[in-house]
Amino acid sequence: MQNAKDTFYTTLQGRLAALNPARTMVLRGVVRPSTLVDENELPTASVAPDAFHLEWTGLRVDSSAALPLVALECSIRYATDGSAGAAGMDRGRSLAAMDAELAAALGAEPHSAPKQSYAGATVTTTGTNIFWADPVFGPATQDGERLQRTVTVSVFANQEAGEL
Amino acid sequence: MSAATGIAAVAPVARRVRAYFAPVNRATCAPTLFDPAQSGRFPLHAPPAPWIDLGWVGKFVRKCGTKVSPLLAGSPAMAVVQARSEVDATVSLEFDAWGKLQLALASGSQQTNLLLPATSAAANGSGGVAEAPVPLLTGTGPASTATGLNVGAAAAAQFSVGSLVAVDADYTGQLGYIGSGVSAAYVQSAAAVNGDLNYIRRVTLNVSVVVAIADGVLQLGTPLLAGAPTPGMQVSPLLGFCDREGASFFQEWSALFVLEGEQGDRVLVHYPRLQAMQGSAEALDSLSVPLERIRLAGAFRALPVKDTNDGETVVCFRSYLPAALREI
Repeated sequence: MQNAKDTFYTTLQGRLAALNPARTMVLRGVVRPSTLVDENELPTASVAPDAFHLEWTGLRVDSSAALPLVALECSIRYATDGSAGAAGMDRGRSLAAMDAELAAALGAEPHSAPKQSYAGATVTTTGTNIFWADPVFGPATQDGERLQRTVTVSVFANQEAGEL
Repeated sequence: MSAATGIAAVAPVARRVRAYFAPVNRATCAPTLFDPAQSGRFPLHAPPAPWIDLGWVGKFVRKCGTKVSPLLAGSPAMAVVQARSEVDATVSLEFDAWGKLQLALASGSQQTNLLLPATSAAANGSGGVAEAPVPLLTGTGPASTATGLNVGAAAAAQFSVGSLVAVDADYTGQLGYIGSGVSAAYVQSAAAVNGDLNYIRRVTLNVSVVVAIADGVLQLGTPLLAGAPTPGMQVSPLLGFCDREGASFFQEWSALFVLEGEQGDRVLVHYPRLQAMQGSAEALDSLSVPLERIRLAGAFRALPVKDTNDGETVVCFRSYLPAALREI
């Protein structure tokens, strides 16, 4: 399952970075694409704006087939205050831009990626793919001057023999 | 048989169904055959010639109507052998796109192009008498191609970017199947079509849209089905398309449907000969009250071909291409 989670994250991060290379953030002193998995970072109560935060929530395992089918639910949260130059009056446009980037990244063909393992010193490709359903966009909500949205997407993977 | 390093086989998971069209030569009853062994792994957006991408389809349902009857013997009677008493297969689907091909196939019969009517033409349900066609120039300027029509600067002024055009031969008394590239209709007598010079262009599937005009050449957005125009073909501007419930012609096409598995496997369903088995119909898909998306609904019956490998008469081929390293 971890391989599926890691593969989805790296695939989505790569697609989002290709769509908008300028969307970067500084995290632990490093400039990087603004896509991160919260559970892989230091615990914090704050949500960095203008970045895509992935959280793994639901999990279902169908063991009826020769290869168990794992369905993971990924929640992707993002928020924006708009730009300081526009005194935040462009926060709607900023949120729309993030909506469009995420929709394009998840909607692009193919809707699958070879599942990879990042457990060792080098990345290895497994024998199956991960694939995902269409995203479900939740309503935009306002928190003070901040606009935010949560998108959920179901990610599927076959659990291969010997894979944890 | 299992490979030592194989991955267990599982049921394919596919997102959608992609449809492809190829013509049937109606005069010789020769369909276009798809060879999954040669071309089964083609990229979905680039089918091998002469297949044409029809886009995604929904509500794809295949039905087997083949009847298998037991032959009984003894007392009490017991089935001792079985026989196929009837072979039948049908397909129903909904096209996502409203293109000329999709409309023509789903209409169930010949579909007319609404040619630009002549001034003071009498009103008619499928369009009035059309204005005079525009000839293609030969010997002056570039030769016309499947994507560029040389009509000359003066005639080009009659068109604008976005114009729809039908390109085909004049009707001069031909009988039988007509239409370049794809048989679009069947003419029983010249009198039935009033000897109309534009009749072939009225029904042809050899249509496109003008996306640019330069130096008397109309650049087309999609290549003409029949390829580069042949001598004698002319151009008629058109406004849209029309089909009729009750018309006599049966559209027939070679069909290929691809279900692309998310694990890299692929299911190909090939019907060499499909004929429409219903008239034009729409399926409504509610977006948000009161908005509804209108999809083209089609239903088709498979007709037989002979498999030259063993002489069997069949109506459909289903092929499965497993993903890499799968147990089989």
